[in-house]
Amino acid sequence: MKSPEELAKERLARIEAAVNLEEPDRVPFSGVGGDVIAAYAGITQEEFCFDYDKAKEAIVKFNRDFPCDWTFAAGFVGVGVPPFTYAFADDPDVSATVGMAMFGTIHDIIGDTCTRYPGREIERNCSPQFIGGKFMEPEEYDDLIEDPVKFIAETIIPRICRNMNTPRKAMAAMIRLGMEAEKIKNFAIEVGKELAQLGYPAIPITLGYTPLDLIGDGLRDELNLILDLRRYPDKVKKACEALVEPILKAGLALKPLGVKYAFIPLHLNEYLSPELYNEFYWPYLKEVILGFAKEGIKSFVFFEGRHDAHLETILELPKGWGIAYFEKTDVRKAKEILKGHTCVMGGVPISLIVGGTPEKIDAYVKELLDEVKPGGGYILATSVGIAPRETPVENIKALIEAVEKYGKY
Amino acid sequence: MVSNAKELAEKRLARLMAAMNLEEPDKVPLAGVGGDIVPAYSGLSMYEYCYDSEKALKAMENFLKDFPCDWPFAASVSGLDGRVFNVAFSEFPDISINLTFITGPMHDVLGDKYYRYPGREISEDSSPQFIGGSFMEADEYDKLIEDPVKFIAETVLPRACRNLETPRKAMATMVRLGTEISKFNAMMMQTVGLMQELGYPAMALGGAYAPLDLIGDFLRGVENLLLDIRRYPDKVKAATEALVEPIMNYALAHKNIGATLAFIPLHLNEYLSPKLYKEFYWPTLKEVIVRLVNEGFKVMVFFEGRHDAHLETILELPKGWGVAYFEKTDVVKAKEVLKGHTCVMGGIPMGLIVGGTPAQIDEYVKNLLEKVKPGGGFILAPGVGTAPRETPVENIKALIEAVEKYG
Amino acid sequence: MLDEILKSIVEMEEEEAIKKAKEYLDGGGDPQKLLEVCRDAMGEVGARFEKGEYFLSELILGGEIFKQIMEFTLPKIKGESVKKIGKIVLGTVKEDVHNIGKDIFKVFAEASGFEVIDIGIDTPEEKFVEAVKEHKPDIVGMSCLITAGVTSMKKTVDKLKEAGLRDSVKIIIGGGRVDESVKEFTGADAWADDAAKGVRLCKQLIGVEG
Repeated sequence: MKSPEELAKERLARIEAAVNLEEPDRVPFSGVGGDVIAAYAGITQEEFCFDYDKAKEAIVKFNRDFPCDWTFAAGFVGVGVPPFTYAFADDPDVSATVGMAMFGTIHDIIGDTCTRYPGREIERNCSPQFIGGKFMEPEEYDDLIEDPVKFIAETIIPRICRNMNTPRKAMAAMIRLGMEAEKIKNFAIEVGKELAQLGYPAIPITLGYTPLDLIGDGLRDELNLILDLRRYPDKVKKACEALVEPILKAGLALKPLGVKYAFIPLHLNEYLSPELYNEFYWPYLKEVILGFAKEGIKSFVFFEGRHDAHLETILELPKGWGIAYFEKTDVRKAKEILKGHTCVMGGVPISLIVGGTPEKIDAYVKELLDEVKPGGGYILATSVGIAPRETPVENIKALIEAVEKYGKY
Repeated sequence: MVSNAKELAEKRLARLMAAMNLEEPDKVPLAGVGGDIVPAYSGLSMYEYCYDSEKALKAMENFLKDFPCDWPFAASVSGLDGRVFNVAFSEFPDISINLTFITGPMHDVLGDKYYRYPGREISEDSSPQFIGGSFMEADEYDKLIEDPVKFIAETVLPRACRNLETPRKAMATMVRLGTEISKFNAMMMQTVGLMQELGYPAMALGGAYAPLDLIGDFLRGVENLLLDIRRYPDKVKAATEALVEPIMNYALAHKNIGATLAFIPLHLNEYLSPKLYKEFYWPTLKEVIVRLVNEGFKVMVFFEGRHDAHLETILELPKGWGVAYFEKTDVVKAKEVLKGHTCVMGGIPMGLIVGGTPAQIDEYVKNLLEKVKPGGGFILAPGVGTAPRETPVENIKALIEAVEKYG
Repeated sequence: MLDEILKSIVEMEEEEAIKKAKEYLDGGGDPQKLLEVCRDAMGEVGARFEKGEYFLSELILGGEIFKQIMEFTLPKIKGESVKKIGKIVLGTVKEDVHNIGKDIFKVFAEASGFEVIDIGIDTPEEKFVEAVKEHKPDIVGMSCLITAGVTSMKKTVDKLKEAGLRDSVKIIIGGGRVDESVKEFTGADAWADDAAKGVRLCKQLIGVEG
């Protein structure tokens, strides 16, 4: 029987070997998370998003019963307001506080209009959802370019947040946010302690954003932005350039806490042709990744949807730059192209875990690992980490067992 | 031990409540000294006391263990008076009640010009101090009268606090202020736990303020206000009236935390002639007190300086309204005037504790209690709770023993 | 002229396409013919998407150009019958409040000649059942973005079965998290994770050329 410390060390070594493009003792496995955590604990999504004690118990219970190497997917209980953190990019301590605050309680405090929470706008057992919205007019690109942090803080946030639309309400909301942030911090510390007792390594993560996604998700709405690319290409590019610095500043605010990875979830990548991707998206994303790298932080990029058309661009990054987590991109093909250069993550469609059987999962993992295991540099994960409530637990167990069975080097 | 502590706390509370209800308790209750002596007794600098909550709690524990009293009103860690912030956030009860004390870390966060803190603007061993200032022009009374909360929150505070100068700075500052409030509240919870362990009654304290003091302390500055009273009497009066409502909102917000005692420290009272006092100060203060009493609160008013000239006005309040805590006013005289109407608190000049001898203290307490004890309704306390660093501990002990002996 | 309009739409020349379409109508052109050309253009955009030449951004922009031209074209053919190739009841399933995928699909389906009855987001199973009863569509289209939507899709199909309506309609599911195993799990007839494929499959489902 290994002690929690030994177990955590072993798991961390496994993940780090893969990130460093080496062969660990076994393929590291990043576990599932999402709605199934609350369901397994018998609590509602509302409780999961608004009650720190219940959320903590649920996360701990789930990770006790469904062990994995990396509890990354279990770390998110809510959805955030993308521009929010960047309103505080010039105040690192505050942006660090605000950046962690993806919790229903914060949604209540700021009254944002771009997320929907269970027991609030939607039924109490629904997943919290990000839906975005249009909070900026095309004529305002110049303001965004001139001083993005000021523009986001003083113009955009009051439009997004009902409880911040007058100076006084904004001040009150921010005090409440600060008071709540202390609770969230304690929650995070408590969860960390309990997970450490279960032998999970602490892998603190910061967040990054692709400038174009920040405009699409947080400011203009993705549909408008797609039209802007044709209508105001120069302004969009200048805005992306202007956003690189605040994105890095806010991301690096957590550096003093010892973060080693910056999670960057992509969104518009699969929307764009290689031509548009290489003109509007990739140069600035690359700047962000390289900016983190300069500070010793590896990027951990989630390539949403199909990234097949843009795979080669990843090779422009320095070898060992970080982790490429793919959703629908074929990881076999990705591994082939990125072998010896980039750690690849993903591989198991979440639909297989939701709708498949233990036998199917066993067979799938066996076949997958045969192809992608050799040479290391691979982390197994589901295509997205969010498993719905009804996900059969025997399927999650089957996935864990299959990795154990076929993942050894 | 726990049940002993609980019993002790109940006994002490009963003693205090009897006095407040104008009855005779088993013994005259003693509100203990506090202030700079608390950190000094544990070898802490004022800076550590204001900025290191763990050390501060430990110092409090040491002090309260060695110098027991019935009500450690002055010994708990607190910041400086922040009533302007209470008013600015009076629309938001959950926030408003958290800003009665501006602690050292909150002062840092706000970058305000009201306070001076040890290790910041002043030396590490100095007491934190309220300085105030003028953050409103005389021609702005109309704006204050029209919407006091808006004017204070949106115009005065950005002038008074460097870190609230722009909306963006204000947002960041407010987040930081929130985290400091959270930390302070956590520490207050620990304080309450400590008090219970040591057998002290847990009394949630609310607060209010005299409208004219709010203008003098936080908006115009005392000197300017005294001139304003002559130059723009109607505006000043209208402004005090406009401030009653937000002050009441702040004061009544304490109902949510179960507070039944509201503390109002006065400031300008001794500056004013009876004529000015009755015209500009007393009417709105009285309104605040009476409304609080009607809402089920007892009020404790600290009459700073000499209140002799205005003593009779207290009788206009309903009998049993609360506690009149006097600083330099002769409590023997006060007791005589207010007997059967108002609980009187005070009586020990701080100079005696700092500069006297145990024998002198014993003698003084004996004489005093002979005069004020009969009939109850009296709480013995130092004229101001804050004892300086050099206060001889044997004098504090002597005070405690004297009350035991003659109380 | 019509050829130029078609080319402008397909090449994503937004201003040019709209300008020429206006000129065409102002010059007495037949709005019905313009509509057909626009539909052809959208068909070509979809085809290029499926070939991997175009990406989602082109689908979205193409849809936007189409919508803008339709704004001034459709009122001119009001009264004249616009032939529909089939009817779709379309909604985002229960618990999911996203509309983007549904809306992109809707534009393309309409451009292909389908009549689309949009029953909104976070749509309860019963509402699908009622809409099928009321509108008697050829196809039911269900959209979702979040993973929880997958189980809502299954429940909706089950409800349609219970109501005895399953065999009267074809069911297509769509959205970012949908794939072959989701189709099997839910019991739908087809799946698509992009609008172009979705519309092509809808045509196949009702036996129109794909």
